[in-house]
Amino acid sequence: MSGGLVARLRTPLRQRADLSEVLAGSWTALSAAELARRPVHLERDGAAPLGEIFELNGEPEGRMRFVGDLELIDRLAAGLNEGEVTVEGSLGSEAGLALAGGTLDIQGDAGPRAGAAPLGFKRGMTGGELIVRGAAGAEAGAGMRRGLVVVAGRAGDRAGLGMIAGNVVVFGSAGADAGLWSKRGSVVALGAITPPPTYSYACTYQPVHLRLLLTRLGGRYGLPVRPRHLNGFYRRYSGDMAELGKGEILAWTAK
Amino acid sequence: MKIRGVFIEDTFAEAFTMRVARIVITARSNRWVRAAALKLTGFATSVIGCKVEAGIERELSARETPDGRPGTSILLMTMGKDDLAKRLVERIGQTVLTCPTTACFDGLPDATDRVGVGSALRFFGDGFQMSKVIAGVRYWRIPVMEGEFLVQEKFGTLKGVGGGNFLILARSADAALGAAEAAADAMAAQPGTILPFPGGVVRSGSKVGSRRIKSMIASTNDAYCPTLRAVTKSALPDSVNSVLEIVVNGVDAPSIASSMRAGIHAACHDGVVAISAGNYGGKLGPHHFHLRQIMAGA
Repeated sequence: MSGGLVARLRTPLRQRADLSEVLAGSWTALSAAELARRPVHLERDGAAPLGEIFELNGEPEGRMRFVGDLELIDRLAAGLNEGEVTVEGSLGSEAGLALAGGTLDIQGDAGPRAGAAPLGFKRGMTGGELIVRGAAGAEAGAGMRRGLVVVAGRAGDRAGLGMIAGNVVVFGSAGADAGLWSKRGSVVALGAITPPPTYSYACTYQPVHLRLLLTRLGGRYGLPVRPRHLNGFYRRYSGDMAELGKGEILAWTAK
Repeated sequence: MKIRGVFIEDTFAEAFTMRVARIVITARSNRWVRAAALKLTGFATSVIGCKVEAGIERELSARETPDGRPGTSILLMTMGKDDLAKRLVERIGQTVLTCPTTACFDGLPDATDRVGVGSALRFFGDGFQMSKVIAGVRYWRIPVMEGEFLVQEKFGTLKGVGGGNFLILARSADAALGAAEAAADAMAAQPGTILPFPGGVVRSGSKVGSRRIKSMIASTNDAYCPTLRAVTKSALPDSVNSVLEIVVNGVDAPSIASSMRAGIHAACHDGVVAISAGNYGGKLGPHHFHLRQIMAGA
């Protein structure tokens, strides 16, 4: 496997760009030329081929790396279901929207609704792994049905909103109302968190499965998993009691 | 052929194809790893009477286990795949799920044949169980009074080999036991194998069927019983007064051959007259371990 396709912004963006169609469906077997023809929707100027906005070098062969000031880019890797996508920088809103497979690794921050369900839909991610190495905006992983969202920095309000299943792991502090309205699924908080009032404290214990999950996050993604996370205790809150109540918040505790 | 004065008979061990699963048990400390492992592998010497053959393959350091805790690797074997699935669920459910702090993982992740284990045990959770998919593998978190029991949903199975063996023919019971202990110690370190009998040693080797009761599957191997030398067609040299058998099962034939080689080499010392092996004329089991060929490779 080569180093993959590198997409570098030709010139700084002056308007928002929707990249939801660039990596939708099958893309790992496409050539760089074929991918270059996929449309980008510019907020004012309308559709343009990816190749006009980004300079593409290499061939995908399962991997793609985006480089440049990407904060005006929305919905990158929406519906992604295969391959490894790396973003060197920060993204706008709805990165990895309804991710279905593969990996989206954002080395900077992600805007609101990373890995969330499309607006108007209850079901969001159905697979794959979304790694945000910086901070994430509000509603990361909202509506997740399956898969993994990791926020290495701070997560905005309502992370894991309305989760149906899956995992949201937050290394930094979690904003208000994490896991609100979740049916199932887990919000794992390694930093500060205040569970919503519709969650009920159950116990403080050592969940063995977190050792597997966190060891993998440290090994595969180099995320800052510490021995205290592996060997420590977690406060378990069940919720959302206003919903099915089969979800949980596992909050690391120094006690 | 002689090794340190011990005659190696020109014969072979006849072994069978079995289904094998490798179970990895972890726990908070070695105490509880061992507690679960001993119960899981208890009463599992022979499929004839126990439905399953099992043993501890080796201890695992925390660096070798999926959850970074101390662990052990166990091989569990049956004659068929369906039976193996039942035995895994029964035994893990009764001996590992019940044991404090343990978790249970598949030790054959590359095996394509897979049977449900956690997928059956999860029902103990009475609807409160949760599944988690980590790195593409599904696990079940079953709530228990202590906390949670974590078990992998499916376990891999392979075609393994059961019934590798050799017989230690000795001048005295002490000599036979000393040789058997030395052999079992040497074989315990062999990867991919287990010794399913107590201490790795069998004193009651069997023959197929019975002289008197037609329904019996197996009965005492009278040809190798020193006390019957005068009343049966004995296979024992005159100087032999005690015989012990080592039985070894494994994930494949080369593992068994390697284990037998180490065991026979260790067993050949003072007081041992000969090393022989149990077979059924070569018509029942597809795996034949010729003693002299094995030892020629030492």
